[in-house]
Amino acid sequence: MNGMEHYLDIFRVTDRQLQTLTATALAHGGDFSDLYFEHTTFFNLLLKDGEVSSGGFHTDYGVGIRVLKGEKTGYAYSESTEMKDMLKAAEAASSIADGAYGSRTYAAVEDRRSDLYPMKANWRDIDASALLPFLKDLEKAVLAKDSRIIKVVARLSDSISDILMYNSLGEMTYDTRPMGSVTVSAVFSKDGRTENRTASRSFRTGAELIGPALIAELADEVVRDIDVRFEARRPKGGRMNVVMGAGASGILLHEAMGHTFEADFNRKGQSVFSDRMGQQICPKEVTVVDDGTVPFNRGSGNYDDEGVPSEKTYMVKDGILTSYLHDRISAGWYGVRPTGNGRRENFRYNPIPRMRATYMENGYTDPSDILAQVRQGVYVDEFSNGQVKIGEGDFTFFVKSGYLIENGRLTMPVKDINIIGNGPQALADIMAVGNDLKIDNGTWTCGKEQSVPVSCGMPTVLVGNLIVGGE
Amino acid sequence: MMIDSKEMMLAGECIRSAIANGADEARVSLSKSVMDGYTFLNGELDKVTHSADRSIYISLFVDGRYGTFSTNRLERDELETFIARAVSMTRMLGEDRFRRLPDPGRTEKGAKTGKELDLYDESYPESNAVKRLEKARSLSIFKTEDHNEGYRLISEECEYSESLDDNYLVDSRGFEGRHTETIYYCFSEMTIEDLNGNKFSGFWWDASQKERDLRHTECSANALKKAVSQIGPKKRRSGRYRMVVDNQVGSRLIAPIISALNASSIQQKMSFLDGSLGRKIFSDGFTLMDLARTPGKNGSRLFDTEGVATKDSSIIENGTIKQYFINTYMSGKMGMEPTVEDISRPCVMPFMKGKELKTTEKDVSLKDILRFCSNGILVTGFNGGNCNPVTGDFSFGIEGFAFSRGRITHPVREMLITGNLIELWNSLTAAGTDCRASARWQVPTLAFENVSFSA
Repeated sequence: MNGMEHYLDIFRVTDRQLQTLTATALAHGGDFSDLYFEHTTFFNLLLKDGEVSSGGFHTDYGVGIRVLKGEKTGYAYSESTEMKDMLKAAEAASSIADGAYGSRTYAAVEDRRSDLYPMKANWRDIDASALLPFLKDLEKAVLAKDSRIIKVVARLSDSISDILMYNSLGEMTYDTRPMGSVTVSAVFSKDGRTENRTASRSFRTGAELIGPALIAELADEVVRDIDVRFEARRPKGGRMNVVMGAGASGILLHEAMGHTFEADFNRKGQSVFSDRMGQQICPKEVTVVDDGTVPFNRGSGNYDDEGVPSEKTYMVKDGILTSYLHDRISAGWYGVRPTGNGRRENFRYNPIPRMRATYMENGYTDPSDILAQVRQGVYVDEFSNGQVKIGEGDFTFFVKSGYLIENGRLTMPVKDINIIGNGPQALADIMAVGNDLKIDNGTWTCGKEQSVPVSCGMPTVLVGNLIVGGE
Repeated sequence: MMIDSKEMMLAGECIRSAIANGADEARVSLSKSVMDGYTFLNGELDKVTHSADRSIYISLFVDGRYGTFSTNRLERDELETFIARAVSMTRMLGEDRFRRLPDPGRTEKGAKTGKELDLYDESYPESNAVKRLEKARSLSIFKTEDHNEGYRLISEECEYSESLDDNYLVDSRGFEGRHTETIYYCFSEMTIEDLNGNKFSGFWWDASQKERDLRHTECSANALKKAVSQIGPKKRRSGRYRMVVDNQVGSRLIAPIISALNASSIQQKMSFLDGSLGRKIFSDGFTLMDLARTPGKNGSRLFDTEGVATKDSSIIENGTIKQYFINTYMSGKMGMEPTVEDISRPCVMPFMKGKELKTTEKDVSLKDILRFCSNGILVTGFNGGNCNPVTGDFSFGIEGFAFSRGRITHPVREMLITGNLIELWNSLTAAGTDCRASARWQVPTLAFENVSFSA
């Protein structure tokens, strides 16, 4: 990782200017102010109809200036780092304060510099012509897997963000965040019917990501179980036990439970868990974490977007609610340490509590034993399009692929169904947790007000009494 | 705040620079926007935001190849280097002979000032922070000592914003067009708790291009009403019911149809409406228009992102598919006549099965439709779910109310609907006249027969 001078150079600012901007931002009596400088370059290539025939690059550059007064936020940004433009933004942000000084003290955090995503090959140094063959090879590998494939679409995108953060406590932090993502979709045709399937991988890594191993992995995944897809039917619905497969089922944990642990919803009394800190909310076998420290993970960060070092946060430990996910505002309000969850889409947005890599830790049960104990139910290994109502906790998730379970065995493949339930109730109704935790490294993006990259994971989990919508 | 003549010249210079660097054709879109927003939490100011953006988006056509590039660094020297790199990268891409600019005969000629569609409020520059703050404050109805029957107000969040979007599009074949609009927006979300500690939330919003048209006074009251109305949900048995969908959420049932009519979906074999052009697919009562050029209305525009002139047209007429959305690229690729790239302002036309709607009767509201249907389930929100783009099979979580003899009886939750979109729209029995004035999607209250509900 480069040193501080490198980042000051990128944004053409000096220490003194940072201090001047901070002083301007606090001129009306704000309690805390921070500056978030960002320079991001994006690059993308798209293969369609056998040719990598579109692509491009994009540049985003600017500084966001935030002023806090108690829990109130003033926010403005500038797309130029000319001092006059930044001062204007600082003045706009300062207007949140009312002239009175000292309503809340924001505490400094300990700087634990880490490098969770060292790059071997910087994307910015790689020419497009060097990346084109990768998509062509990927297409070739996918087509070779199944003669029923009629269309392949493959996309490669990468980005590098240079970030410099400075705040009124004098804390200066900086980071360079890479991201590489590859997605491939295939459309299959059989007896006049079509099915499609997508596979993706995304990591905070340099161009060393791409290569034959990734091609093989994606090609295998995109054709996996396609015969089953053609056979899948919409089953009879009803209330039943549901086994969530290890890995991508973690998106249900993210949507239906994770959001209710975000401290802003709880601070405002909107979450179902607002008044349940320290209580047993689910069986002892359940431990749920949000982790910003998984090396190369899409949701990881050396720091969050408030300059707070990342950490592994236990929201639920042995079934007890132990922590919300905090940014500096909620941490100040609750009188706890920020957990490194203050994240933002880019410099245009103020940070708010967001998840990183959210997963359930391993339980004690062998996955085959979990399946064996279900007389009638549904096994789900891929969800999509989930939605949750934070206050009520009600969620609906669309099942992309799964099976009926009859007498402890997977039988008929199912599709086009929804699973509906209530987040807190589903947590409480967990009957068994497997010992096969898997983090899913797909291109997950969370869309709470702003888009941020996340990831999710689960071991195999049995939940009782969910509604499965079918015929 | 708005794009000035210097910036317009800069867009032209980008075209010239691209050509000088070896591009055959180029298109440049210059966008500027400003937004001021105020959020109140429980009656107190919680957040003030000010944003100002400007960016350039460049499409390059080089030696039969195509690339897209954007930047918000608009200094001349930065742009010069940026464009040279962009042309060079485009040359590395695969050839695609169908990539080209639209024929000048199809592009809009009358978008000179950006204000032709009356979407710009001339009083916008006179607005100021004090005025905006007061408007935002007036949204709040929060009272700390509120005593209500059967519930407690937990939190109220209100947001008010004013913004200006200005876009200037120019291409190397001589097209030049501008679109300018102001947006006034308000939003309220209420969270309440019933006597048993169950939480319910409701939201309401309004938006308009003119400040005078914004209906902000009832925003929080409507959000509260929506939250309170959900108290005491009852389980409903699975089965087939008449379904009424209110005018807030009907777009969820139209969006997959519009997506399936897009040439890109059809060409990629990802559309359940492939091969449907000119065929009667839906019921007689289903007519969908694109009213793209209605002055003063949200979603109206004179040209699409290629510069192609929009027009008011039928997309689906009495159940028959009249148009796909085909841009210049897809037109070449599919060998079909181009239309526009996408719908601008979708409008579902009124209909009532078995009843000729005369001009004098053209005022059909939710109340009328509930009475018309007598019994069933009123859907007021969708919660998750999916529509399979290849088959049209859908499964959506819903929330809403049971109704009987035309009157709402109780809220329902943890329910979902399943079916196929073609079958669903063939069971359309009514479409009201009560589209929300503020919405881009002009979808009124809808009624369908015999819909499968699971609970």
